[in-house]
Amino acid sequence: MRRFERRFAWWAVFALIVAACGGGGQATTTTEGPGTTAPPATAATTTTAAPATTAAPQVCEAKIGVMAPITGPAASIGEEQRNWALLAVDLYNEENGTNFELVEGDTQLDPAQASTVAQQFAADDAILGVVGPAGSQEVEAVGPIFTDAEMAFVSMSATRESLTDGSLPTFFRVVPHDGQQGPTDAQFMIDELAASKVMIIDDQTSYSTGLADTTAATLEAAGVEVVRESVSQDVTDFSALVAKIDDATDVVFLPWQIAANAQLFGDQMAEQGKDAVIFGSDGLFSPSDFTVEGAYVSAFAPDIRGIPEDADLVAAYEAQYGDFGTFGPPTYAATVVLLDAIRSLCDSGAELTRAAVVDAVRATDQATSILGQPIRFTENGDVDGGRFFIFQIKGGSYELVK
Amino acid sequence: MEFFLQQLVNGLTLGGVYALIALGYSMVYGILKLLNFAHGDVYMVGAFAGYGVLVAFGGPADPRIPVVTLIVLMFLAGMLASGILGVVIERFAYRPLRNAPRIAPLISAVGVSFFLQNAALLVLGARFRSYGTARMVDPATGLQWGPLRISIIRIVVILSAVALMVVLHLLVQRTKLGKAMRATAFDREAAAMMGIDVDRVIVATFLIGSVLAGAAGVMVGLVFSRVYHFMGFVAGLKGFTAAVIGGIGSIPGAMMGGLLIGLAEAFSAGYISSTFQNLIVFGLLIVFLLARPRGLFGVPEPVKV
Amino acid sequence: MPEIGTDRWVAEFESRRVRREGPWGRLIEWSSRRWLWLFAGAAIVYPFVIGGDFGIRVGVNALLLAMLAIGLNVVVGYTGLLDLGYVAYYGLGAYGYAFLASDQFGIHLPTPVVVAVVALVVFGVGLVLGQPARRLVGDYLAILTLFFLQVFVELALNLDRLDLPFVDGPVSITGGPNGIAGVDPMEILGFRFGQVRDYYFLLLVLVILLIVGVTNLARSRTGVGWRAIREDTLAAEHMTIPSGRLKVLAYAFGATVAAVSGTVFAAVQLGVFPQNFTVALLIVVYAALVLGGEGSIPGALVGALIIAMVPELLRTPAGARLLFYGGLLVAGLTLVRPRRRLAVIVPGLLLFGLAVRALVAGIWPGLVAAETAGGVDRWLLRFSASADVVVSVLFVVTIAVALAAVAVRRRRVRDALLILGVYLLVLVWENRLVEEPSITRQLLFGALLVVLMVARPHGLLGRPRVEVV
Repeated sequence: MRRFERRFAWWAVFALIVAACGGGGQATTTTEGPGTTAPPATAATTTTAAPATTAAPQVCEAKIGVMAPITGPAASIGEEQRNWALLAVDLYNEENGTNFELVEGDTQLDPAQASTVAQQFAADDAILGVVGPAGSQEVEAVGPIFTDAEMAFVSMSATRESLTDGSLPTFFRVVPHDGQQGPTDAQFMIDELAASKVMIIDDQTSYSTGLADTTAATLEAAGVEVVRESVSQDVTDFSALVAKIDDATDVVFLPWQIAANAQLFGDQMAEQGKDAVIFGSDGLFSPSDFTVEGAYVSAFAPDIRGIPEDADLVAAYEAQYGDFGTFGPPTYAATVVLLDAIRSLCDSGAELTRAAVVDAVRATDQATSILGQPIRFTENGDVDGGRFFIFQIKGGSYELVK
Repeated sequence: MEFFLQQLVNGLTLGGVYALIALGYSMVYGILKLLNFAHGDVYMVGAFAGYGVLVAFGGPADPRIPVVTLIVLMFLAGMLASGILGVVIERFAYRPLRNAPRIAPLISAVGVSFFLQNAALLVLGARFRSYGTARMVDPATGLQWGPLRISIIRIVVILSAVALMVVLHLLVQRTKLGKAMRATAFDREAAAMMGIDVDRVIVATFLIGSVLAGAAGVMVGLVFSRVYHFMGFVAGLKGFTAAVIGGIGSIPGAMMGGLLIGLAEAFSAGYISSTFQNLIVFGLLIVFLLARPRGLFGVPEPVKV
Repeated sequence: MPEIGTDRWVAEFESRRVRREGPWGRLIEWSSRRWLWLFAGAAIVYPFVIGGDFGIRVGVNALLLAMLAIGLNVVVGYTGLLDLGYVAYYGLGAYGYAFLASDQFGIHLPTPVVVAVVALVVFGVGLVLGQPARRLVGDYLAILTLFFLQVFVELALNLDRLDLPFVDGPVSITGGPNGIAGVDPMEILGFRFGQVRDYYFLLLVLVILLIVGVTNLARSRTGVGWRAIREDTLAAEHMTIPSGRLKVLAYAFGATVAAVSGTVFAAVQLGVFPQNFTVALLIVVYAALVLGGEGSIPGALVGALIIAMVPELLRTPAGARLLFYGGLLVAGLTLVRPRRRLAVIVPGLLLFGLAVRALVAGIWPGLVAAETAGGVDRWLLRFSASADVVVSVLFVVTIAVALAAVAVRRRRVRDALLILGVYLLVLVWENRLVEEPSITRQLLFGALLVVLMVARPHGLLGRPRVEVV
């Protein structure tokens, strides 16, 4: 047995060294892309045909990266984001005859890992732009790296207001920031719900605390009594918190990202006979997972399941990946923004550089998008004219109320 | 007063679940002196197994068989899946390390935990699954006593947790296997010399501990509805904490430790501040450990010279 | 089961150490004397060989992990204190740097001052929080220190809306979940650290200084005392070794090392965030230490390099593939005994694959790739994306078969299981795992931890020693 173990170790170390050498080389060479085993038939034929007929237009070819928490505690968010980005690239290639490729980078929502992935993307010259990262604190961490690399990065879920204060020249986001959502939600609570006491429960994430702050500020300015609570995302039970909701509280504001958590919160309110109204932020906009009767949810875009132009897209996604929540469609939009920018460079015959991609992204002018709205960027990378809609859940479906 | 009682019920439910997880930790520790960090993931697999049965029989909204039968089947599936998994983990990740330094199986356990979490991610996806108990049993039914409400599902969970603990107690105190387990925990070599098949006792310990974790998984699914790949991590830490607080290796200690932590969480969130809930719980535990360095039921080990 | 006469065995351990035999053993013996030079040389050449900032960044991560592992080695490896709060001091160091060198409080002290202040303060904190180590033993100390870590993370997460007396409005100390961004880069003697490469060399110098320091410390009276405490606290006390004081000292020393690496980390990342200092990192540091061999400094170094580099290697599908097939090869060469049986298994495997392919082609032609396909596709089945469920089931079956192949003793059954297992592994790999590089990375990492621990329970470079339990 000893002998066996020793030999095993010997071989394992040997293999590691071999692998390390091979992999080290791989990290610096960028010619060979991932997934070379089964290239789509069309791509293979076009690339082989291109050198033969010199007159044929060059196929627009580039790589983009996607940074999302694909594994780890927040995988439910990242998996959806990654899948939508994959779908976007596949459909885009199919539709426009381009040859874009997506490289995924798992950040686990940890800024340190995000930095490493950012450096990996920056080192790969074929990568011209990045979708993500997902969290605001990750954007802060990768900002200096992408600024140095002049890499455009378009986030699909980082909403902290200060990210677009001009310090990150290559940063864009397709979602409106906390400073737009918080006051809208608060105003609705004041005007339509006539709230006099609101309990705000953040989930100790960057997204949540930012939104809680802006909402609380507007409410307090209007003289509404605000109670702040906070609870970790991965807590098992909310009933202790639910029990704290007193009769005077008429709205409970949940700026959360995990719809299943909010559903449990609602169920536990029913269990304890609390009749305050739940008001959720856009992170809870998830008709399959969050269906508490009478609750309100804000969102910066209507449900894409209800947009006729998106029906094919929704069907394509559901066929391949199953159900989805609120994080996927903005990722699709962000991916298309990047791909459009690169393709516009191809079409104009300009050289494909990262700096050019940044300018092209800044010049984005989509009359409509998957979100059913135009996408244009302000000088600092915010989406232009972002506004929020408010929905109420009635009989399990989301109805637009404002 | 109702507020107090309400938080008591909340704490007891949560504590019962923690206690069941802690029992698995503590039993394994008692015999192998091993912190089984993969235990939380065994619990996760149990919760998913229960969910699988639920879906197979038509889902929560309209189950094809009576709800009571369904819940029993879910418990059985969760306990079975976890039990098998526990035994397999012991055989392949821990048994080869029986005489290794104490910290080696710890890392092996961490490896198993990584593997299980990501295997679940690969096979089942990252989406939160919901048992949807609210659609199966109306959350408003149950005992009502003034403003205090205890839902029927909470009663089921508390009762089954108590029942499982009683069974475990009888098993350990009254059966031959239990005697062998106690002997092995006391002194493994001496037990082996007395003709006890130590390997079999260890397998049995893992089986029982994992079955309890599986039951806890289904209970969490029933009361707290959400099931996902990462749920075992936090629960595992809580179970570990409960086991140590109770006096690690002690079975009644693990039960009390679990209840204590559940109650501490409910009351600190209820009475002081939810923001600092974890901080308060950890602070209390630190003070407690400093005052009683061997937990509630731990006995100081005699120093062998 | 420990041998009879354990104590004597332990006592005579050093004198009974035999030189290792064989080419590998000789290499180990040689490198165990020259390893520091080997390491320093390789590390200096590394950035120039690897090129590109990504490789250097991975190097920075590896060196940071190495510092943490060597510091932890003093606490766990030498003194035998299971400190699960270790990462908290890394975080304290990082937050300390951020407090004293960023716009958070508008303080911008020179780097050497910051590092010195942080090191001193954390050493003090370590002395205070290390006090329980005098009383608590074993896993009770472990859980207590784990609570310290949790408390630290909770404080970092929640000290962002503090109502203080005499101050208007809520005060943010740690920035909460947003952390503190815009931390100053380091600047030493007028040299401003701008690039990852600069930090790489800074860390290299720090690691080498640390190694020299710890090696000397280990040989000193203090170091001997530490190890005596680990082997037998009671006996050590009877030899008049002040065990309580030495334990606290080891704890505080480890904390200080962690804090210093934390300051560098904060500067490299140009920010600190609570998510940086979780139990996940703790696990990584412990894995590095134990994998390398606790109690051994070169072990901690090697462990840190493996733990930091392998997951990065697994990020690219090409690297992951290399590791996967390399692993299969190694497993084949070690598990199959005598090795000539490979002559049966390898052709058997090829035939089995072709047979399955032919069989399936007859029943469900859709599963087989087109004739034009090359490479592994001429041998393997391809499932369409909608057949994910089938592949998922196959994945579970594969694990069961692979485990069975390891456990079964009867040779023929074992060979058959091996063929089936390898076939299934490749099938699942090519159909599913390559499409999920991020998950695969974690899966392989987990499996690697288990396999390496089972193969080398004492760590790669650790020495076997009997523990008195």
